[in-house]
Amino acid sequence: MSDWEIWLVIILLTLATFIARSGFWLVGHHINLPKRVQEALRYAPACALAAIIVPDLLLANGQVEVGLDNPRLLAGLLATAFFLVRKNMLQTIFFGMAVFTYIRLGL
Amino acid sequence: MKQAARADSSFPSYNIALSRSLNILMSFESDKAAFKEGLRVGAPTWFGVGAWGLVVGIAMIKAGLTLTQALGMTLLVFAGSAQLASLPLIAAHAPAWVIFATALVVNLRFLIFSAILAPHFSHLPWRTRAWLGFLTGDISVSLFMQRYPEFAEEKGKLAYLKALVFPNWVAWQSGSVIGILLGSQVPTSWGLGFAGTLAILCIMLPLIINRAAFAGVVVAGICALLAVNLPYKLGLLLAVLLGMGTAMMLEEFLEGKKTAVKPEPATSGKGQEREQS
Repeated sequence: MSDWEIWLVIILLTLATFIARSGFWLVGHHINLPKRVQEALRYAPACALAAIIVPDLLLANGQVEVGLDNPRLLAGLLATAFFLVRKNMLQTIFFGMAVFTYIRLGL
Repeated sequence: MKQAARADSSFPSYNIALSRSLNILMSFESDKAAFKEGLRVGAPTWFGVGAWGLVVGIAMIKAGLTLTQALGMTLLVFAGSAQLASLPLIAAHAPAWVIFATALVVNLRFLIFSAILAPHFSHLPWRTRAWLGFLTGDISVSLFMQRYPEFAEEKGKLAYLKALVFPNWVAWQSGSVIGILLGSQVPTSWGLGFAGTLAILCIMLPLIINRAAFAGVVVAGICALLAVNLPYKLGLLLAVLLGMGTAMMLEEFLEGKKTAVKPEPATSGKGQEREQS
């Protein structure tokens, strides 16, 4: 991407934050979102994040690699287990990076 | 009452019982006292916020942004998960509108947060509301809701929120800037960009609040994988829509089954039951 395109993206991202965070503050007063809308909003972020990281974990050079010899997948799975036990993001990132590096370098 | 009920149904992970017990606390005597209490409550989160900023800072540089672009992004956008989500798309040359749509979807949770928080501050001038809302991220919202689970005219609310929001901004930006400067010093072969993936994983997992959400995440993940070669990264948006649809259909199905089996407790204990499943 060229420099101006990246700045365009940065401005659009700023707008996306502004709409989501400040939108209802500007509308003011009491807002009642319909239950269905609330539910949809509740599930969307998890789905979006999954859609971003699953290809990241499973694809290697355009090929799907579901074996445990895929360092990203194995590190991701172990980090998931670690996070579910410890509930700590930073520790999980350190742990996952350690596993990832360990496997990748074939130590 | 309505406020708490809504918060309960939209994000069961917030501990409403705890919030209620905290609410018994006396209201603040002055804005200064409220500000001090806000600092005290927020302080334990500063380090984590800074470190999270650090990870995003490194990830931005590792995704190929220049120093100026990365600094611009952290100072303007100020939304870690949306920034992280945008990076692989920028690297893959996705069109700007797809990146914008993705960031909006990732940010949708803030829409619910702002609907809950905004009524507390509807008396302020619109400019104050605009920037205050912009600065109020996940942690500030959850800490504020623990103190004020229900709408109430109380002294010190604004000072309390400011005491949560300002240090949070400083911690995040300091961490980010350090990460940006550090990131350009670390060779790509270290694979530090993977820290961004792990960070997204850690944000995603707590959002899987029930079986329906889990099913949605699985469908979205598989769909994103299968549709990865669609032009303009449209597979991502398709995956979100299908995942969301799956989650909502499954929730409706599970709820329907529940009310059919035992109709009485369905009205009183629906929230808790859903949380446990």
